Amino acid sequence: MAGWSEKVLDIDLNTQSYKTYPLDMEMARLFIGGRGLGARLLWDLVGPEVDPLSAENVLIFTNGPLTATGYQTSNRFSVTTKSPLTGTILDANSGGFWGMQFKKAGYDVMIIRGRSEQPIWIEIKNSEIMFHDASELWGMRVFALTEKLGQSNNKRNVLCIGPAGENLSRIAAIMNDRERALARGGPGAVMGSKNLKAIVVEGKDRPEINDPERFKFMLYETRKLLAASPLTSQALPEFGTVVLMNIMNNIGALATRNHQQTQFEGAEAISGEELTEKYLVRNASCWACPISCTRISKTDKVEGEGPEFETTWAFGAQCGIDNLPAIIEANALCNDLGLDTISVGSTIACAMELSEKGYLDSDLRFGRADQLAPAVEAMAYRRDIGSDLADGSLRLATKYGHPELSMSAKGLEFPAYDPRGMQGQGLLYATSNRGGCHMRGNMVGPEVLGLPKMIDRFQVQGKSSFVILHQNVSAAIDSLVLCKFTNMGVADEYFARVLSAVTGIQYDTGDMVKVGERVWNLEKLYNLREGFSRKEDTLPSRLLNEAPTDGPSQGWVVQLEPMLKEYYRGRGWDENGVPTPKKLAELELANLS
Amino acid sequence: MTVVKLYANLRKLAGTKELSITGPTIGAVLNQLVRQHPPVGEVILENGGLRQHIVVTLNGQHMIDLETPVTEQDILAIFPPIAGG
Repeated sequence: MAGWSEKVLDIDLNTQSYKTYPLDMEMARLFIGGRGLGARLLWDLVGPEVDPLSAENVLIFTNGPLTATGYQTSNRFSVTTKSPLTGTILDANSGGFWGMQFKKAGYDVMIIRGRSEQPIWIEIKNSEIMFHDASELWGMRVFALTEKLGQSNNKRNVLCIGPAGENLSRIAAIMNDRERALARGGPGAVMGSKNLKAIVVEGKDRPEINDPERFKFMLYETRKLLAASPLTSQALPEFGTVVLMNIMNNIGALATRNHQQTQFEGAEAISGEELTEKYLVRNASCWACPISCTRISKTDKVEGEGPEFETTWAFGAQCGIDNLPAIIEANALCNDLGLDTISVGSTIACAMELSEKGYLDSDLRFGRADQLAPAVEAMAYRRDIGSDLADGSLRLATKYGHPELSMSAKGLEFPAYDPRGMQGQGLLYATSNRGGCHMRGNMVGPEVLGLPKMIDRFQVQGKSSFVILHQNVSAAIDSLVLCKFTNMGVADEYFARVLSAVTGIQYDTGDMVKVGERVWNLEKLYNLREGFSRKEDTLPSRLLNEAPTDGPSQGWVVQLEPMLKEYYRGRGWDENGVPTPKKLAELELANLS
Repeated sequence: MTVVKLYANLRKLAGTKELSITGPTIGAVLNQLVRQHPPVGEVILENGGLRQHIVVTLNGQHMIDLETPVTEQDILAIFPPIAGG
């Protein structure tokens, strides 16, 4: 079948052996690739009895039928596992070049099982799979390791963990292509628990395309659409993602000092405008991406990719810090050590509040830019107080007696958007299957930016239908796998046409949304099997009960309960948030319940 | 005078981050802004109304109705099409 390689690479680290076998194409039709395919495979492989950091957990790397075709942003890939941070199903996806190279090596899926007795790294050159001793690489940081293993963007790509993953930090990322990250939920710790330091791929086979002429025309059309959109042709390339800082602050929805306020007086100093004017060296892009939103930034101490908006917020407003060079340097340090910048920044902010209130004996204080880099280092190496911070804000705050000060849902730290000023975002955080996350359907589009249409950000009634649609579309895009920014210039229905041209299977818009809904319901089933229930579909007390005392969101808390009831009904679930047999049958998931 | 704050590429087009403009409504202030800085008008206005994806807030609240009255104490913020996450 065109698009897919139809091949699974299954690696057992216990025995340093592997096998390959055909991909179940009925499974591929239902779940496409990426996040969806990963979720379906994890359902069979990892049950509730498995500790996320045990040898029985798996890492499932997936790409999609569009990956490496040359379609715009067809560079992305996913890793799926059980999260050591949240205990939920986890998938994280990343751009760059590695995903494209992995597809060109001839595989749709790579499953990593077991645990090596000694540190190991894996080299893949199409059908040649080699296991190498990594004893001398263990301890190396990401940038040096990536170079040592021969990173060459279009030929040979390196995916690895840094010291944070080796030290089993539950907020450790897997890094690829030096500065791209499979970041959220701690996949780096799972890789570290397997004593697996790196996976290097070289591939030479481009995927087959069913209708090359039609596909070629779609490449042309997509190029035109992205060039015509002011979002993808001007806003993202010119200012990058950090351009959101000022608008979120303006409307009073920029979480500040561990969500104690919703506006930050130093927002302008850490804005996209400031970054562009003073620190931007040039733009960069992932493979086959004409948008080029990546910033290459430079300070006196570092030069590298980023920082993105969420990172700048996490080390900035969330920590009460308006020192942009310190934020750029903390971002680079996280990339080099292999850490999730959102969770790191928000965990430091949590520690700052715990310390200021006298619950934690440390000198961490809001506004102290000089404390960022030492705190990040301490987390990666589990030194001193860093040992407590290395496992995220919920474990930290719980240990010191105040779990309510962790700004997270299901244990995953929130991104920048304070949901008291965006009711739909609150529902989205509470119901996200991997915890507090903005990549599971982001309501910033309709509630703040008017994309595709503006809706009232404080409206409660009827909001769930928008959230459900965004969640489903997001899951579909993550299963293709494409970058969500493409969707700002290219409508959802166009992706169905591209998928049809590549695979020869006729998909329409309804089919794509159905795939997204199927993936969402499967992830929900997984979490229910793990013991999650309605009571975990919630938010910290601060967001439900403490209204901002000033600013444009003054007086608002998240009205979660009525939205949640409406949401469960809209999803076709019962009052406890459990998918009904009828819904599962409709989604061809009845055999999994 | 109403304080008008500009963001992203509007700053380059107007040559400033912030202006003070007198006018009874949002629409009147915007028209005055565009008269002073015509390149800004090409980005934010179309057929007498706001272009798609232009966000205007008054004291942090989203505004669509250009007839909304403004006072000297108000802050009007104008954002061109932006995205991120």
